[in-house]
Parts: sequence; C-alpha cells; structure tokens
Amino acid sequence: MKYATLAAGLLAATSLASCAAFNPPPTEVPALVETVAAPAPLEVTVHSGDFAEIQQFTTPGGASVWLVSEPSIPILSLDMAWKGGEAADPEGLEGLADAVVYNMNEGAGDLDSLAFQTRMEDLNMSFGCQSSNDWTSCSASMLTDNAEDAMALVATAFADPRFDEGPFERFRREQQVGLKTRETNPGYLAWQAQTQALYPDHPYARTKTEESIAALTPELAKEQMRKLMVKDRLLVTAVGAVTPEQLAPMIDEVIAGLPETSELPETQDIILPELEPSGPVVVDLPQPQTLVQFTGPGLKRTDPDFFPAFVLNYTLGGGGFSSRLMETLRVQKGLTYGVYTGLSYGEHLQTWGGGGQTKNESAGEFIRGIKEEMQKFVDEGATAEELDDAKAYLTGSYPLGFDSNAKIASQMMGVRQDEMGIDYFDRRNDLVNAVTLEDVNRVAAEYLDPSKYLFIAVGQPEGIDVEEFESEDAAVAAE
Amino acid sequence: MKRTLTGGLVALAVFALPAAADTAAPVEAWAPSTFSLDNGMQVVVIPDHRAPVVTHMVWYKVGAVDEAPGKSGIAHLFEHIMFQQTDNLAPGEFDDIVSRNGGQSNAFTSWDYTAYFERVAKEQLGTMMSLEADRMVNLVIDDDPEGAFISERDVVKEERRQRIDNNPGVILQEQVLSTLWKGHPYEITVIGNMDEVAALTPEDGLNFYHEYYSPENAILIVAGDVTPEEVRTLAEENYGKIVPTGTAHGQRKWQNVPLLTENVTLTHTDPKVRQPVWSRYYNGVSQYRTPEEANALDVGLEILGGGMTSRIYQALVEQQQLAINASTYAWTDLHDEGPAVISASPAPGVSMEDLEAAVMSEIRKALDEGFTDEEVVRARNKLAAQAIYARDSQSTMANIFGSTLAEGGTVEDVLSYPDRVRAVTTEDAIAAVRKVFAPDRHYIEARLLPAGEEN
Repeated sequence: MKYATLAAGLLAATSLASCAAFNPPPTEVPALVETVAAPAPLEVTVHSGDFAEIQQFTTPGGASVWLVSEPSIPILSLDMAWKGGEAADPEGLEGLADAVVYNMNEGAGDLDSLAFQTRMEDLNMSFGCQSSNDWTSCSASMLTDNAEDAMALVATAFADPRFDEGPFERFRREQQVGLKTRETNPGYLAWQAQTQALYPDHPYARTKTEESIAALTPELAKEQMRKLMVKDRLLVTAVGAVTPEQLAPMIDEVIAGLPETSELPETQDIILPELEPSGPVVVDLPQPQTLVQFTGPGLKRTDPDFFPAFVLNYTLGGGGFSSRLMETLRVQKGLTYGVYTGLSYGEHLQTWGGGGQTKNESAGEFIRGIKEEMQKFVDEGATAEELDDAKAYLTGSYPLGFDSNAKIASQMMGVRQDEMGIDYFDRRNDLVNAVTLEDVNRVAAEYLDPSKYLFIAVGQPEGIDVEEFESEDAAVAAE
Repeated sequence: MKRTLTGGLVALAVFALPAAADTAAPVEAWAPSTFSLDNGMQVVVIPDHRAPVVTHMVWYKVGAVDEAPGKSGIAHLFEHIMFQQTDNLAPGEFDDIVSRNGGQSNAFTSWDYTAYFERVAKEQLGTMMSLEADRMVNLVIDDDPEGAFISERDVVKEERRQRIDNNPGVILQEQVLSTLWKGHPYEITVIGNMDEVAALTPEDGLNFYHEYYSPENAILIVAGDVTPEEVRTLAEENYGKIVPTGTAHGQRKWQNVPLLTENVTLTHTDPKVRQPVWSRYYNGVSQYRTPEEANALDVGLEILGGGMTSRIYQALVEQQQLAINASTYAWTDLHDEGPAVISASPAPGVSMEDLEAAVMSEIRKALDEGFTDEEVVRARNKLAAQAIYARDSQSTMANIFGSTLAEGGTVEDVLSYPDRVRAVTTEDAIAAVRKVFAPDRHYIEARLLPAGEEN
C-alpha cells in the first residue's frame, strides 16, 4: 500500500524539524525524503504543540497550509476558507454568495450535476461549500485510498465549474420556498428583530427577497465565485493519513484555476446603539412556547478583557448545569429545558447574548429571572469558587476538542481565521488561568447590565407588562 | 442539549459501523475487546490513541418500550432524575464534580435503551466510573411535593414542548408513529404523553429504579486513549463490587409489530406550516430481527430515494419538477420493526393529489424495472464506507457498540457489518423494497398542510 509506507517514512523525517519563529531559508531546511509526487523539496515548519503537531508549509502553487498527519485512520479532512462572504453581495443581489456555494458541487468540466454527484458517491467522498457574513469556505472528506482521484474531482470544481441552468433553477426554487418557511421560523424571526433594532442599515441586516433571488443568474454567480475564491486570501487546513509531500501537489491541482486576487467591498464595523429603556420586542407566532433571545455589546478577540469575559460567560450561562442561569431557571424553577449564553466575536460585530425557551405562560417570569441574574453579577460579581470552577472546566475540557480529525481541522481553521498564531492552542489554557476575580467582576459590571441588552420574545408570551409589550414591537413586527 | 432524547421523533441516523480489514491502518490498533464482570456487567473497550481523552458510557437495557401502561415517559424522566442526588452526593454535585474535572456529561433515552456518558481527560476515567457506580445503587429520589422530582418533571414538560409541540411536522409524526405502532409498546413516544408525564410520582421513579438499574442489566463502553487492561482494573474496582439487586429481571417487552390492516390518512394543518409535506409510512424491518433483509432494504432505499442521485429525486425534482424534495428511508435500527417511508414536498402550485400520483408512479416504475448492479454496488459501498468515517469520532463508535449490545446484538455484529452489507445482491435489494412497498401492503398517509388547506 503506497500511501501507508510513504506516510510512515515522512512522518519520521518531518518531526525532526522544530517549530521556528521564522521560516529558515531554503538551503538550511533538512532534506526531506524525495518522492515522485514532490519534485522540489517542500519547506515544512513543524510546530510540536501540546494538542497537535502542526506542519506548516506553502505549496509551490502558493497555498498556505496547516497539516496534521494522522495515520491511524485512512481518511483525509480538508478545509479551505477565504475572507469575504455574503456581506459582499451587491445590493439587490442578496443570495449571490449562497448561489455560488450551492453550485460548487453541481457539475464541473465534462460532468453535469448528476454525473458529478455520482462520481462523488463512486469515490465515497464528500465535497461542499458554505458562506457566512464574512467568510466563504469549502470542505472535503475522502478515503486516502483514492484521495488523488477525489482531489482531482475537487480540482475540476474550482477550475471549470459549470453553473448549469438546471441546478441553478433548482437553487432558485428552493430559495423561494425558504423565503416562505422563514416567516414562521422562530430563530429567523428573532434574528430579524435583532438586526432591525440594532443595525438595520448594515449589510449584515440584509435578507434575500423574491426580487433578489429572481435577479440572480449563473453568469453573476460564476463571476462572484471568481471574486470570493482567490489564491491570495486562501487558507487551508488538513488532517489525515497524508504527508506534506503527498498533499502539496494535490492542493496545487485544486487551486490552479483560481484567480490570483480580487477586490471586495470593505465591511464597516458595527457599533451597537445605546438602547432606550423599553420592554422586550415581541414577535407574534402561534406556538405553545416562547423563544427568548437577548443581545448586548461584546468584545473583540484581541480585547485585553476577552478572556475574563470568556471565563465569566461560563459561570453566567456558558454550558454546564452549574451556570447560574441554568441553576436558577431550570434546576430550581423548572421553567426551561435549557438557557445558554455565549460571546460572538466577529471582526466587525461583537456581541454577548443568549437565549432559551419557556411556555408562553411563564415568558415574563423567565425574562425577569434572566435580568435578575445578570444584575446580580453587576452588583455582587462572581465568587472565587465560581472562578476556580470555571477555570477548571475550561482548561480541563480543552483536550476534548482535539479528539477527531474533523475537529482538529476545524480548530486550526478557527485559529487561522482569527489570526491567533500557530502556538495559540498551547497558550490558551494559560490565558484562561491568568484571569483574576478582579478582572471578572470588572467585566461583569461593565458588560452584564441588563438594560444594555435587547430582549426579543417570539411566540405568544404572557406576563410581559403591557407598556413593555407595546413599546417596540410595532416597528419590528413579523412579516 | 443536555439530557437529550434519541430515537424519539427524529430521523434515526443510518447505521454507521466500523470497517473491515481492507483499510490502510492495522485492525489491531482499534479493534474492540469485550469481557464481563462477575456481577454480569458487560464491558467493551474501543482503543483510539489520537488524543488523551476517553468517552465513558453506561447503557441500561431499559427504554420507553418497557414502561407500564399509564406511565409513559418514566424511562426518560428517570434518566433526568439520575443526575440529582445520591447517598453520597448532594443535589447538583454530580454535575459539579464532572465539570470541575474538565468533563462533559449527558444522557439519552430511546425506546430500546437508556445511556449515560462522560467525556473526559483519560486521567479522570476512574473518577467518572465511581460517579456512575454510585448512582447505579445509591440514588435518592426527593419525594417532597414541591421538590426536585417535581421541578424536573416541569423541565421535561418544557422539553416536550420544545421538541414536539412547537413543531407541526413533529406533531404529525407523533400521530403517525402512534398509529403505526398501535397496540405495540412503541405506541407512545419516548418522552411520553403530556398528561401521563404530569402525573408521574417520585414513587414511580423509585419503582423503575429498582426494577431496571443493576449491573447485570448494564453495559460499560469505554472508547479512547485506554487499554483493555486499564479498563478492566478500573471497572472491577468501581463496578465489580456492586451486588446485583436480584430484582432486575431483564425481561424486555419487545414484540413483533403487526402489519397495518387498512390505509389511514392523517392530516395536520397549522398556521406555522408554509411548505406542505406528503409522506407514506409502511411497515418496515429491523436490523435485530431480520438483519439480511434490513441491510437489503437499506441498500434498496438508498438507490430509490437516498439522495440527489436517487431514482425518485432525479424523476420528481430534476426532470418533472413537481417536487422540491423526494426521498425514501427506513428506521431499521430499532429492535422491533420501524417504518419504511416515502416522502416528498411539492413544488409551488402542485397539489397533494398530483404529487402523490407522480411519486407512486415513479416508485412502481422503479420496482418494476429493478436496480442495476452498478447502482447496488455504489449504494452498498456508500453504507460500508460510513463505517470507516465513523472511526473519526470516539463518541460515534461508543454509541454504535452500546446501542447494538443494548438491543441484544453482539460486538461481532458490528464488526461484520461492512462485509454483510457488501454481500447484498441486486436481487436482495429489489426484493426487500418490493416487499415493504407491495401493492397489497397498507400504509399511513401523512399530510402536513398550511392552515386553511384541509385537502
């Protein structure tokens, strides 16, 4: 088995290199095993970290790759990402990035949609793309036995995508149905109420419409694909039973057809407005339970107070049963199946928020309970014991995020997107442990004041004061 | 979400089982080993040395199928109660200890089993075992009428609203499955009827505990960075000393699901529905009762309606454009026979009647024509390859072995799955599908419609 023997030899060779602060000049790189697949020696910097041994290299074709070689399972997980996504859709063409990613596995070269999908099944592989506000990404999973064939298929998708009228028309039909079903989707309605109240004029608040979907064409989508997926913004992470020398030529084949670079519109930062004192925004939806969501200002990942906030969030509502919101609202009062909080730290929008569901009859009590717990943090802070518990969980559970190839590939991509540095995994627990009670309580006072939070209730909530009920909902009623 | 419910009103995952020996990695490196403790507790160890982490699970051979009449939901509510209090742990202390040790814990209940798990750094495995062993014998149930049992019952009622009552499609599915399983112990959904759940008492919980929670009725699964020897030592230390209650009888209430005797149409209209869905539920087969037939049915339904390349998707969505989706699937991994389902959602302007006629015409055509060898090879390779991909997740592997053993299967059943699915012939696949969708078989037709569209 060619792959297995090559992998063993090359792993031994690359692990001799250590993590350098800079890339040594090519002449000083220890000669790696020569392979047929890699005619020129590849400069590989190995970072032997606590959670993964990351091999960092740039392919001859110019792709920057982080690879963890993992020979124990004969599969390969590959993630690719480019900065730039849905926020770059031109006005009136909302849904364009969606159209691009939808069509990336709908036919390429000689293969129409059915032939392309059938080929993926023959190879027992998967390949697909996604978009978000700020990012476009693709991922592929394959068996190492036929990884070269699988990567060759992915390569045709980038070099010669068809954007045929048939699948494109299917995309439009599905989107039109999506426009209807979102009208009664509680999560969508809450999101829409949030954007309309907090940043109605920002590209993040734009939604697809019948007109914008109808205006999309295969030509426009293909043009946008060439803007979103370009060589100089490409990040690649991979985990699997391959070596850098095996992977590099396959990636170069994949990216050969991509343009070097492109211009995309700048996205403006969002500064959340000061909220007028008011009650929750209510969106009427006929169902027995109310979805409650709340959103306030958050922190940038680079903010010195980010880690204190991250640690405090665990105590507030960050997951376990031991959070104060879960303890009070679920365990003691039986009001909900779950209530959670989290930090969102995108480049242009940072929020701290959370949510949960409760029967309509107890919606008012549920919202008051959340606010009371937040106010308690502002007034009294967390306890030293709570801080210790939070640190113990957050540091002790960190290895659980590294126990599969797919998780490691995704963790590495997160670090690359946030530009945290290749040693981030090794530093992260120290950053958590460095947080003091003083830090946490300062952050609590600054960020958890419930009056800074927009509360949204989707359902038929009861127990919300009448003046509250009427204060804002008229402006953001459901469609 | 904590304390989740599987096998409830969600589509069951396709069986994804480990690979045969035709892979690049040596089998010995990950092959599971199995043994039993003297008190009857079964143990399976699945080594995976990629990260210093383990998944520790205890599976009990009890589920919603075993509930007494009028006590629906007790298996699941009891699973929640298991997190509350023991002779040695105050309320909430179980979660606190797991979290302080960097662990994540959860549990789930199905018709056929109840499972508890902790994911944790490998050094903490012994601590997790001591916690699970403690609540296997020392559980305390709060019988204060305003106490923890009652507030947890309220939590389960919220869980039922969140999973079922808020979702028109799931409300309809609950009605359909109750009709399909009429008179069978699966008839009431796992989480239970709202009224029966609301009437469950602490005494019901205690009786259930005594009847089913005992080492001879339990299976220990450990996946991750451990050796069988390490697990054996820790398991004997923690679980080996537990004396069987003597009351856990091990009798399951499984029985064959009788065939439907008439066609039934169930319609659910709801103002929240914006896109209609049409489905037909037929009687299917089970991996545990007739494994060859179940594998053949899985392969056949993959070809008929398993994805974008399938027969009915290509005909109805791509060519005729009468549907925005069309699929077939079967719940073959319950112990007793689950449904085999044909489902489609109409394109704008297409009536339910026209959609139904078009779907059934394509199904009949495919069943008359039969499948090609090429289609069968592709479908069975796809199912077999899932066994390789499954190995990327130690939780997935632990779940596969745990659920199989809890339903009466063996480690060998799991290991031989890829070979068995590759042995399905073209004749087997078409025969299995022709049988469940035979013209003389009855079915339940389910229609999910927007309010005001009763027909």
